[in-house]
Amino acid sequence: MGNLVWHEYARLVTITASAYAVWAGFFALFYRKFFWDFVGGTLRDPGGLQPAPSAAIFIFLIVKLPIIPIISAILALVILAVEFPLYIFKDSALHRSFALKIVMLVFQTFFNILFYQGTNAALWSMIAIICYTRAIALGETKAEAKDNRGKGGRA
Amino acid sequence: MGESWFKREFGTPRRLAFNLIFYGLHFFLFGYGWHSQATNTKLAALNGLKFSVWTSRGAGLVLAFDGGLILIPMLRNIIKVVRPKLTWLFPADENIWFHRQVAYSMAFWAMVHTTAHYVNFINVERTQVRKQIALQIHYTQPGGITGHFMLLIMLLMYTTASQKIRTQCFEAFWYTHHLAFFFMLGLYTHATGCFVRDSVDPDYIKSFPFYSTEHCLGYLSWRYTIWPGILYFGERMWREYRARRSTRLSKVLVHPSGAMELRILKPSFKYTAGQWLFINVPEISTFQWHPFTITSAPKDPYVSIHIRQVGDWTRALGDRLGVGPSVVASMTSAAMKGTEKSENGSLRGDFVELDASSGLSLPQVRIDGPFGAPAEDVFGVQVAVLVGAGIGVTPFASILKDIWYRQRQGNCGSLRRVEFFWICRDAPSFGWFQSLLSEIEAAQADPNFLRINVYLTQKISEDMLWNIAVNDAGAEYDPLTLLRSRTMFGRPDWMTIYQQMRQAIESGQYIPGSTSQLKTKVGTYFCGAGAIAKALKEACDHHSCAQVHAFLSMAGILLLNDASGAFLSERRERVRWTDTPLYATTNSHVNLRFAM
Repeated sequence: MGNLVWHEYARLVTITASAYAVWAGFFALFYRKFFWDFVGGTLRDPGGLQPAPSAAIFIFLIVKLPIIPIISAILALVILAVEFPLYIFKDSALHRSFALKIVMLVFQTFFNILFYQGTNAALWSMIAIICYTRAIALGETKAEAKDNRGKGGRA
Repeated sequence: MGESWFKREFGTPRRLAFNLIFYGLHFFLFGYGWHSQATNTKLAALNGLKFSVWTSRGAGLVLAFDGGLILIPMLRNIIKVVRPKLTWLFPADENIWFHRQVAYSMAFWAMVHTTAHYVNFINVERTQVRKQIALQIHYTQPGGITGHFMLLIMLLMYTTASQKIRTQCFEAFWYTHHLAFFFMLGLYTHATGCFVRDSVDPDYIKSFPFYSTEHCLGYLSWRYTIWPGILYFGERMWREYRARRSTRLSKVLVHPSGAMELRILKPSFKYTAGQWLFINVPEISTFQWHPFTITSAPKDPYVSIHIRQVGDWTRALGDRLGVGPSVVASMTSAAMKGTEKSENGSLRGDFVELDASSGLSLPQVRIDGPFGAPAEDVFGVQVAVLVGAGIGVTPFASILKDIWYRQRQGNCGSLRRVEFFWICRDAPSFGWFQSLLSEIEAAQADPNFLRINVYLTQKISEDMLWNIAVNDAGAEYDPLTLLRSRTMFGRPDWMTIYQQMRQAIESGQYIPGSTSQLKTKVGTYFCGAGAIAKALKEACDHHSCAQVHAFLSMAGILLLNDASGAFLSERRERVRWTDTPLYATTNSHVNLRFAM
């Protein structure tokens, strides 16, 4: 019973995941940590985990210069702008393209899984990807934005 | 709507008080949690983490509070018992609204708490105040595991609870919301494992609760927050038991307008006018319970509800009963055409009656309830003004029938006059209600006791206008509603209506012999969308005086899948299942009700 419109549900998950990603990226500027640094890392007391030399590139992009978190936060803001949508996207095909959203969400998952604060955002983005994939599989389409036809709620 | 956010939240005393108390308590608890952590010398080692640990502990206390509160508005049976005694304090019908406020607050503080812990754990790893790495705390310890798990459940529950999703697929909301069970388990066990401690290692003991309170210094909040959980669980069990008590669907009447009237026999089911129930038809869906307003009066030998086939569940029910949407559609169109009163006096076509004798097996049904506010106090006022707008007319079926029964028995309390206002966009689709009204109207011995005022707000075409003008003149029945009372067009002007009523009362014409009374109580009972409620409230306040005390109260609740949902136009027909006690389609209604 019931008829869940998957892309509308996916939109809500995407918005939640992206809002989380913005916040995670912001905090990753202050507390910089490579999520996978325990792989081959050594624990120092005090000092914490010292990542393996093989992770040098990630240490550079996340800890030395927080480039990945910045990209991730910007991407999340873009996704929010497309999904919410910001008025410039309201009538655009971008707002209605599921494939584009899946691509953006794949990147969001990838970036977020790299740094410490982003794991939940990555997981939730993955859920959003699954929902959008389901929407495509079911052949759902998103209708074009309707014109504003007056206001409701007046007696 | 049309009202600024600030004015809505802070403009009315009750709303202002709620905001101050609710959010004030939250900030107080946050501050207290912060302070108690920061000044606890036993936790000096943890306090080395500074702001982040103070924040996480403060927010943790707030979340424990919210976790205790979140289930309280869902204790429907307890609220039903408590409400009549506490109406002055809080409008208990606003339970879903309150549930949502707690949930919003919970989302915010969960963000604060989680953020603070992300900072905590990275600092624990760096300083090695505990010999662990951050990811071990996140993903191998109870606090971390339950925390991440609860966040995931929140994601699923909040997203499926949005109005849009509930409307599309109530099931997605209904089933996902039962993840609350695991959420609550997570909440109660979140602080196990002696997470907040003054010892190096967790101090476990052999007996319950398996940690020593000497060294484990958390809030132990589960001791308090578990009670609403136990109560709620008990209530669900009780509802399950109650729903299983002997119930039989005795008869189904299909009204010409397309509404199905289900008459159910359940001796153990006691209710008062204006309440609602949940119905479940296992054959159609085992676990789905759908809310409907009760349309029978307590003195009727059966419990009836009117259902319109507007959603998939109701359509499936129609199909099961052999009166699926196609059958009903043809009946409805026939009924719309036949505007003449037929010879045997029935209105617009005939009923189709289905019962066991017609050879059809009626499905097993279960009902649970009743819920919601009783409209008992109608009999405590001298003048009752009943206002049903659109779909909000449903509870008045039961209330009017109840008044009618009591009137026959001479048991109307102090009630002397009833003014019934029915405001709708297009009356013919409310066929079933019309027939009920005309029965009640015909049964009136005293022409002054009940006055029916029907207001039609739709735009009428020129043809219709002429039709009315020509046919209406001198006719005994109104051409549109087939009632003796005339239909009025446009929206009612409440100020004038109340003014006339007040003048009539003051001059003693309205209620014979009432001049000796000190004060006449005029109770307005309303069900419908918010904007009318506001206009009514203004009119009531404006025309209360030394002799007349006019007040507004809410009767019943709006359930969008009730039979009167017929008027839902194409655009609004998609608004089908909504949350159980649903108040209109806009938030303004909810806000207003709280403001009163």
